[in-house]
Amino acid sequence: MTVADVDTALWGPRADGVAGLERELARVRRGRAAYMGEQVATVARAAVVNVVVVATREVHAQRAARTISQLAMRHPSRAIVVLGDRHTGPSTPPGVTLHAQLPSIDRFDQVHYEQVLIRARGDVADRLASVVVPLLVPDLPVFVWWTETPPVGTRHFEDLLALADRLVVDSADFARPETMLPQLASVCIVGAKHCALTDLNWARLTAWRELLTQFFDVPSWRALLPGIDGVRVSFAVDADGREIHPSQALLFIGWMAARLGWRPAERMAPSEAGGLLFAMRRADGERVRIRVRPRFERGMSEGDLTGIRVEGERDGARMEFRIHCDGRRYADMTVRSDGGLASERIVPLPATDVVELLGEELTILASDRIYEEALALLLTLS
Amino acid sequence: MATEVAVNPLRAGLRLARTPEPSIMVIFGGTGDLASRKLMPALYDLARQRLLPPAFAVVGVGRGEMSDAEYRGQLHDAVGEHSRSRPIDEEVWGSFADRLFYVSVRAEEGYADLRRRLEQLDRDLGTAGDRLFYLATPPGAYVPIVRSIGRHDLARNGGARSRIVVEKPFGRDLASATALSQTLHEVFAEDEIFRIDHYLGKETVQNILVFRFANSIFEPVWDRRYVDHVQITVAETLGVEERSEYYDKSGAMRDVVQNHLLQLMALVAMEPPAAFDANAVRDEKVKVLRATRPIGPSELAERAVRGQYSAGFIEGERVPGYHDLAEVPPESRAETFVALKLFVDNWRWEGTPFYLRHGKRLPKRATEIAVQFRSVPHQLFSAGAREGLEPNTLVVRIQPEEGISLKFGAKVPVQGVRIRSVAMDFVYGASFLVDAPDAYETLLLDALRGDATLFTRQDEVEEQWRLVDPILTGWRESPSPPPAYPAGTWGPTEADLFIGQDGRRWRQP
Repeated sequence: MTVADVDTALWGPRADGVAGLERELARVRRGRAAYMGEQVATVARAAVVNVVVVATREVHAQRAARTISQLAMRHPSRAIVVLGDRHTGPSTPPGVTLHAQLPSIDRFDQVHYEQVLIRARGDVADRLASVVVPLLVPDLPVFVWWTETPPVGTRHFEDLLALADRLVVDSADFARPETMLPQLASVCIVGAKHCALTDLNWARLTAWRELLTQFFDVPSWRALLPGIDGVRVSFAVDADGREIHPSQALLFIGWMAARLGWRPAERMAPSEAGGLLFAMRRADGERVRIRVRPRFERGMSEGDLTGIRVEGERDGARMEFRIHCDGRRYADMTVRSDGGLASERIVPLPATDVVELLGEELTILASDRIYEEALALLLTLS
Repeated sequence: MATEVAVNPLRAGLRLARTPEPSIMVIFGGTGDLASRKLMPALYDLARQRLLPPAFAVVGVGRGEMSDAEYRGQLHDAVGEHSRSRPIDEEVWGSFADRLFYVSVRAEEGYADLRRRLEQLDRDLGTAGDRLFYLATPPGAYVPIVRSIGRHDLARNGGARSRIVVEKPFGRDLASATALSQTLHEVFAEDEIFRIDHYLGKETVQNILVFRFANSIFEPVWDRRYVDHVQITVAETLGVEERSEYYDKSGAMRDVVQNHLLQLMALVAMEPPAAFDANAVRDEKVKVLRATRPIGPSELAERAVRGQYSAGFIEGERVPGYHDLAEVPPESRAETFVALKLFVDNWRWEGTPFYLRHGKRLPKRATEIAVQFRSVPHQLFSAGAREGLEPNTLVVRIQPEEGISLKFGAKVPVQGVRIRSVAMDFVYGASFLVDAPDAYETLLLDALRGDATLFTRQDEVEEQWRLVDPILTGWRESPSPPPAYPAGTWGPTEADLFIGQDGRRWRQP
């Protein structure tokens, strides 16, 4: 298949414009209603969200479409996939074509998922939004999932962002997440409308944040929080130590610092094998040593956290809180007091594949202030 | 000296509910059916979802001698069988089971052992004296256990919290319910007592409150002016086989109507509470119960029907009648079916009947609340056109398929007007993720956190008995036995006549 061709088995037959597509959708609905009528059942069409996927590579578009269809039972949706590239040729002139994958008529179930492909070729960025708008299901929130680094400042990015209630990105794929993320955060405010920003890489930290937080739900341990003097965050690298992506680890530190009121004391300095070493200052002026450490753990994706250690002193006793994931889907949580084991338990970690992460993100509409604060703090460190 | 930190600053913005404070849960009846079928699987599932506190232990109390290891082994198999996430995750189980202990208490001195064990665990685990007691024993043991907890000062550890969860039945009539509450109050304050009605932990039951009070379009028609009547059905296909000894003393009224059905009615009929907190919600529920007119002896025949199932067929299988069961005495008059017509005498509901129905061995397992609206004031369309039109009905289905459906009339697409009723269905599982928490998980977590919103307060229990007692007395004094209905039918014909005399009929859920 050439880049510009469309695999109709996957994306459905070509539709005759938006009106043609609507006619086709109505025909399917009537057909299903008739079929259900014979089976003495009522047809229902459920949808809670519009998801607009933007990709320039077919492989990204396919992966995203597959993810959304897998989520359809949890988040019934209409997916509008915008696949655009600048390649044109004699058989693929510039322009926009529509393809739709519709539910089959003789199925005894509810409609959870409809998928429309907008295949754009050539220099047509100025008209993409005009195709997306009539395809959106009214009254439902619009999530725009940008599968690559968003081209901030371009026409089609701004047009599509203006439609969005939430922009979904994955900063794990960004070349410079620490500069790209704040840029995105600022462009998400378009006039009076504030589009919320979701970073799947931040979503990967949710379970880790939750677990660390649980330690300090215990009142006697909570008293240690103002006395923390050392934090070590480890993240996974490949066996050769070449794929070094500390962005999750840094976001985690940004989050802790923002929540606990720490300020930067010195700039980040490289340490062994791609790690970082620096210090921050607590509210009472004391230093907190911070170490970001690459670790090879079999079975972990590069960049994912593998462990956290928080230590400090309270009433003359040294305490250490540790969460460690050894590559299986469990975390070992231990608390030590003056070297003696005070508590240990093993808890399962949730899957962090894109289906799970996106499924969780689709449940929330509001913007995440905690994330924005973590990001802001991270900026002061770089 | 480190400063005290009152709230956990890391908690902000986290979507998971707050985990409970460190505590020890003490289950009396720790080897019993409830503990192994419901409580332990629910606790394990909470552990699996990382919702238990980091410092936490479960102490099972039973009469038999057993080591911690034996107890853990026994529960491992039970959890493997009854958890909603199977197979059991051995890593999670292993870590959970490390905090699982067993104490044998046969006589009074056993409580001293229990106390020592709890204090030891407090020291080892950092649980700081916080206790959640759970009465999962037969109800006859409640009073002695509560008194022993008091005598051995198990519930008072300095400033630490203590709570107690009590399973139904809360007494067998108003007098015994009041006496039980008095005993509980010797040791626990009312806000430390969590009377569990597992129906209230079900997602759809909580959804009734969301549906009514988070939407603006239903509440304006939620009253006597628009509602013709309400039908609440709790239908079971099961008989009472293993429970017949208990059931014969209790009957359908005490088993289900006094608690679950009246609670459902209260949720449907209550006024909007000022806040979603334990006392505001329960204040409104108890007002409904207080406003409900009791059924006196003179109205008994007209407003209450009972029944007892005889042999019949359920899903194609022949099943024995109630009297055919070995433990049921031949003279037994325990009811297995109850239908009531209740009126809530207040501004909102004056004159609107609430029909409540519950039975064993009915054709289908179904729990639903159906609000039937009045017909339009003036009929525009001819009687012929309206043939297929039924009244607007809003149905909240609790089981088997949780959801909400609204029935309304629509024109059939032919020349001329022909109207047919269509149902707009919202299936809970199809709009949200299917994996809703089990009722016991929700309620145990709430009890551990100290949130009593979904638990029944003393005054509610007492009001419920006030409504049920005179009916039971009337039936006891009646010369005739409960009418029989064949298993697999919707109750005795008396039930159909009873609603038929009002010009209405029962729904087929």
